[in-house]
Amino acid sequence: MNTIIRLLAEGEAEHDITQTPSRFWPERYEIIFGAFASLLIFGLLVKFAGPLIKKGMAGRTAKIQAELDAGEAARADAETEAAQIRTAKGDIATERTRILAEADAQAAAILEDGRSRVSAEVADIDIAAAAGRVGDELRAEIASLSSAAVDHVVTGSLDAATHQELIESFITRVGASA
Amino acid sequence: MSDGRSDPRIEGYARGLFEIARAEGTLDEVEDELFRFARSYESSDTLSAALTDEQIPAAKRQAIVEDLLGGKATGTTTQLVSMVVGAGRGRDLPAIIDKLVARASAAKNLEVAEVRTAVALTADQQARLGAALANATGKQLNLKVVVDPSVLGGVVATVGDTVIDGSVRTRIDQLKSRL
Repeated sequence: MNTIIRLLAEGEAEHDITQTPSRFWPERYEIIFGAFASLLIFGLLVKFAGPLIKKGMAGRTAKIQAELDAGEAARADAETEAAQIRTAKGDIATERTRILAEADAQAAAILEDGRSRVSAEVADIDIAAAAGRVGDELRAEIASLSSAAVDHVVTGSLDAATHQELIESFITRVGASA
Repeated sequence: MSDGRSDPRIEGYARGLFEIARAEGTLDEVEDELFRFARSYESSDTLSAALTDEQIPAAKRQAIVEDLLGGKATGTTTQLVSMVVGAGRGRDLPAIIDKLVARASAAKNLEVAEVRTAVALTADQQARLGAALANATGKQLNLKVVVDPSVLGGVVATVGDTVIDGSVRTRIDQLKSRL
């Protein structure tokens, strides 16, 4: 301590205390005190703050690790779930294929049934139409033959006496209608 | 009978023929002959085609008329038909004649009664039929009898819009429609 005081005193005695000896360097004693103070503070920091910092870093590391573990677990869960979904999707596709196949089979059966019924009905209609056609043709043929027969019979039976009888009958009827 | 077309040219020809026949003093006879000729024209496709064919010269068509009617009808009738055919109005001949007959009947306050039969009527039958029709319609009639084989038998009488049908043809048609 005495040395320090002495150095200070010497320094004051050697030069003007309002002027620094170098443009860049501070006073020597300031360097010595600064160095001591810095070492002291560093030592105190190492001694007292070091364990706290180490503890905080360890806690932070543990927390990050826990988060990483949780993330990994979540990823594993998600993958498991995705696998389950994929499996379920596969099952749905299979089920859908099965249902579609079943529906196709039912539709084909209904279609076949409908075709059978339509064919049967068409056959019935064809039979009815054919019967109707045959009936119509037969009626037309009978009518045609009957007409020809009527013409033949009537014109063949119209002799002079019949003509006169028809005319006389007409005159009588018209005369009576007045 | 032809339809009731009122073509001014047909009216004009009918009036002209009527005046000529009346001036000649043969209206009744000419009217009757023209009426029969018109019915023959209507029932014969060959005759109507020959008299309306534009490819046949008018003189030849008139010669056909004169061949047909010459000696069978009065000169006035033959000349009147020949004139109409020569003028290229052969297609309108039935309509012109029907107008003329209607005009002639109207001049005598009579209405035309067309009677179609399959066989010719005797004078007595015509008289009795005319009287019966006049009695039935309440009109004085100018009876025009046409022998039409398509009637087959019986009589069809037409007075104006009234048709009294007692023909065998119609009865057969009715029977056929029922069949």
